[in-house]
Amino acid sequence: MILEDAPPVKLKGVGDGFWVTLDPSRSEELLKNEMTKLFERLRHLAINARVVIDVGDAQGGDELVNTLGGFLKEQFDVGVVTRPPEKRVIPVERIRQRDLSQGWTHRRSDVLMLRGRVRSGQNIEAKKHLIITGDVNPGAQIIAGGDVLVMGRLLGQVHAGRPDNDDAMVLALDFRPTQVKIGEHVAAGLGGKTDSGVEFASVVNGAILVQDYLKSNPFGRIPWPEVI
Amino acid sequence: MEGRIIVVTSGKGGVGKTTATASIGAALALEGKRVAVIDMDIGLRNLDVVLGLENRIVFNIVDVVNGRCNLRQAAIRDRRIENLFLVPASQSDNKDVLTTAGVDRAAKQLRKEFDYVIMDSPAGIERGFENSVTAADEAIVVCTPDVSSIRDADRVIGLLYSRSITPRLVVNRIIPEMVAKGDMLSHEDVMEVLSIDLAGLVPMDEQVVIATNTGMPLVLQNDSKAGQAFRRIARRLNGEPDLPVEVPSVKGGMWNRFTQKLGLK
Repeated sequence: MILEDAPPVKLKGVGDGFWVTLDPSRSEELLKNEMTKLFERLRHLAINARVVIDVGDAQGGDELVNTLGGFLKEQFDVGVVTRPPEKRVIPVERIRQRDLSQGWTHRRSDVLMLRGRVRSGQNIEAKKHLIITGDVNPGAQIIAGGDVLVMGRLLGQVHAGRPDNDDAMVLALDFRPTQVKIGEHVAAGLGGKTDSGVEFASVVNGAILVQDYLKSNPFGRIPWPEVI
Repeated sequence: MEGRIIVVTSGKGGVGKTTATASIGAALALEGKRVAVIDMDIGLRNLDVVLGLENRIVFNIVDVVNGRCNLRQAAIRDRRIENLFLVPASQSDNKDVLTTAGVDRAAKQLRKEFDYVIMDSPAGIERGFENSVTAADEAIVVCTPDVSSIRDADRVIGLLYSRSITPRLVVNRIIPEMVAKGDMLSHEDVMEVLSIDLAGLVPMDEQVVIATNTGMPLVLQNDSKAGQAFRRIARRLNGEPDLPVEVPSVKGGMWNRFTQKLGLK
């Protein structure tokens, strides 16, 4: 995401050359002007330098890079102009192979795991996922950047996926929260039922939906254990 | 041996803190202990009225803490129950005249003089609550079987735990008929949420209103169910922790049913 006030052209030195990051949504004229300003300051340093022009994954990026590369060669006598090297992509098989040999034993997790009762007036915030083995009383508030799992009664307020992760979910053995937020969605006045089993809430078609865990197993679709 | 300071608190107002303080204090005194009950509700004193000692107030807890009198001058001795003393609150000041340091100083003296010091905390969790719990060794949380009272009690329990005070619960004003019909939360429902040790269960009792208005200690009335419940709570506090908790029920015991049939009651 590029903010409105971000400069359209950024320049930094990399090894024996320069790395130019461009906003491809701006006009070619503007980009050229901005580059001229930056390269004029470099003077003789630009001569024969290796330049990488990074326009992200934009459509027609090659064409833009060629045009601007030609412009730089002509105006400032730079050396080779290229696009950034492609990132190495690890094939899925390799990942699975690694997981099979317990690759996750080396993973460090951001999960906050608590044991005991969360009482009224207590606020618990987790950067990522939050697991509570115990009950969450009415009046308590639990907030997580990722998923929330409560191995007990969930009677308080819960916010999963703060601030805007709509893929987060909330699961509780006894799901009766006073209010549920997932990402930017809010649902209130759930609960009341007491005899239902394990339930979870997730965002379906832009609204929070509570489903029985065993009937619509949310993880059943994931064929392979993955680190989250 | 130094005395124990027990704070009676609830978060919510009007659940029976003052009645519980007066009754448990009186019951402990009847057990033969030297007991002081202290009204920490500065500005809104009630405990003196409940104990019927209003007309004998000269000094109060604010005077003791701020050094205007000594403890013996402020403590009013109850004439009906031996070993029961009241340190009343001030009616003219507000909660900010006391500091936790001042209360801690006074508490040291109270521990020396008495076996039990029962502090009646004001409602709320602000300054008055802080002053009441600062010196406490133990706490009794009073709640009634309704949702708002439980919510507040839960908050207070959290605050007490954060001060390393392990509270015990008194569920007050249980109406067995309503519990049986499912219209009122049972003590099990309350315990499910609060999950702390139970000190006792107290049934709803008209005698409480009479006792409060006349200033006659509840525990002296043998026909008061609430009074008897408070006496059992006092025994549990005073070295009989395993005394079984009696659950208020609709039907009385065998003897009651028998006498009812004969038309004696």
